[in-house]
Amino acid sequence: MAILEVKNLHKDFSGLKVLFGIDLRLEEGDRHAVIGPNGAGKSTLFNLITGKYVPTRGQVLFDGQDITGFPPHRVARLGLARSFQITNIFRTMTVFQNVRNAVLSRKGIRYQVFSRLSSLTWVNDEVDSILSQIGLLDRRNVAAGELAHGQQRALEIGLTLALDPKLILLDEPTAGMSSSESRDTVSLIERVTRGRTLVIVEHDMDVVFRIANRITVIYYGKVLASGPPEEIRNDQRVKDAYLGEERT
Amino acid sequence: MSRSIFLRGVLLAGVALLLLAAPRVLSIVQTRMLTEIAYFALFAVSYNFLFGWAGLLSFGHAAYFGLGAYVTAISLKHVAGLHLLAGMGLGGLAAALGGAVIGFFCVRRKGSYFALLTLAFNQFLWAIAWKWREVTGGDDGIGRIIPRKPVDMGFFYLDLTKIPNKYYFTMAVVVIFLAIGWYLLRTPFGNTIQVVKVNEERAAFLGYNVNRSKLLIFTLAAFYAGIAGSLFALFQDFVATSAIGLGMSTEVLFMAFLGGTGSYFGPMLGAAIFVYFTDWISSITEHWEFFLGVLFIILVLYFHRGFIGLIPSKVRAVFAAGE
Repeated sequence: MAILEVKNLHKDFSGLKVLFGIDLRLEEGDRHAVIGPNGAGKSTLFNLITGKYVPTRGQVLFDGQDITGFPPHRVARLGLARSFQITNIFRTMTVFQNVRNAVLSRKGIRYQVFSRLSSLTWVNDEVDSILSQIGLLDRRNVAAGELAHGQQRALEIGLTLALDPKLILLDEPTAGMSSSESRDTVSLIERVTRGRTLVIVEHDMDVVFRIANRITVIYYGKVLASGPPEEIRNDQRVKDAYLGEERT
Repeated sequence: MSRSIFLRGVLLAGVALLLLAAPRVLSIVQTRMLTEIAYFALFAVSYNFLFGWAGLLSFGHAAYFGLGAYVTAISLKHVAGLHLLAGMGLGGLAAALGGAVIGFFCVRRKGSYFALLTLAFNQFLWAIAWKWREVTGGDDGIGRIIPRKPVDMGFFYLDLTKIPNKYYFTMAVVVIFLAIGWYLLRTPFGNTIQVVKVNEERAAFLGYNVNRSKLLIFTLAAFYAGIAGSLFALFQDFVATSAIGLGMSTEVLFMAFLGGTGSYFGPMLGAAIFVYFTDWISSITEHWEFFLGVLFIILVLYFHRGFIGLIPSKVRAVFAAGE
């Protein structure tokens, strides 16, 4: 059974058609990259899957359940977690508190009033283990907004990871990074998402070919091609539309 | 660490002693003023549940203060044999119910739309209080609310017609609710409220139901405002439309900002300064509201963190330990 199935997805923004008829299918364990030129509709696709927007037409099935039009918090609770292209963290809270917020939510401890948060020390070990995975254990008591850019991106991924999701969606995790930062982030992603099902939106082709075992190319709101990396690399339509564009 | 716990213990004991001794040392007028400060402190803290902790700017918080005051007054007056505490409880519950219903609509809106909607609902309730004379007395209000005979409180009788007794009763209720509120904000529930304030979008994508969190804190703030309102009704022994008017909504906002919305204790300090300042300035000039306005302008321009921001951070840390 597919873990994620997107069927004939359409999205109009007050008349402007951004997506028309996207299909996508992911099996458990897939490492799927979504690529395409700027404005192709990749982020919109993510926003439709994770509940930020409601599709104009079409269906999103997650783990056999129809989640079309579910609000973000319900999608997240089902085990579908995402990161953001523009860093989206709790800037005034410490790094530790950031990750703890995610862990608490996953455990369903959101409205509990029978104990003080500081007395729930058993949560801390789990938070610290995630912090050490993303390499931020020594920064745990720093306000998240004061971290260096690369560290903020790592925390961004850490928040997603802390939900222990069945499916992870990463929206341009290396956006705005130098090539060395980008390399670090790719190895971080490979390390922490091992064995997990993953969808990644990415511009950097090196990153895509290193992480993904399937690639879907979106071009002006439609799927242009979908298949294993080698097939995509040699697809003439993709070369013309996207890869070719970069060479000229 | 243990030193700061010790310091806090000494501090709490000192404050408790001062509050207990106050009516014996102070004049009746001063005791009245201290009582007024107590219920306004509770009201201002309830306002800050919304603004300081949840980031929700309300222009209509008197709606719930007024609901608490009116429902307590009406039920104590018209339901024969109703216990004083039951009357107060009804006031608080009515305010919480009002908060839940009004909050349901308000929390779905953001920023200025949220603020204007709270204002509109406040004005709506004010109009009801103003027009529904048979129940509320309109602008004549409702008088003679408190029981004239001592109230059986289980292990003692409380005569609320005496000012020192009013003071002790008000202070006891206020301290209990302030302590519960302080605790609640430190539970996972309190954390959820702040998570949603700091980054609503990320909170939602982590599985937090943003609207539900806002509605819960809105309802809790309304309940607290309602309890403060019922204390106000008992203290004044009179309720009129001013209790539910926009003037009251402005005053509580002023108190919270005056003291500082960044800490739990700020709004209490703000309530104290507000009551003292208005009392003092209105004894000097009848244009006291003008000077209140000037004070507010200076505050917004130069002291964003309120008066509590003027206290050295080391001293503040003793108060705020554990925050």
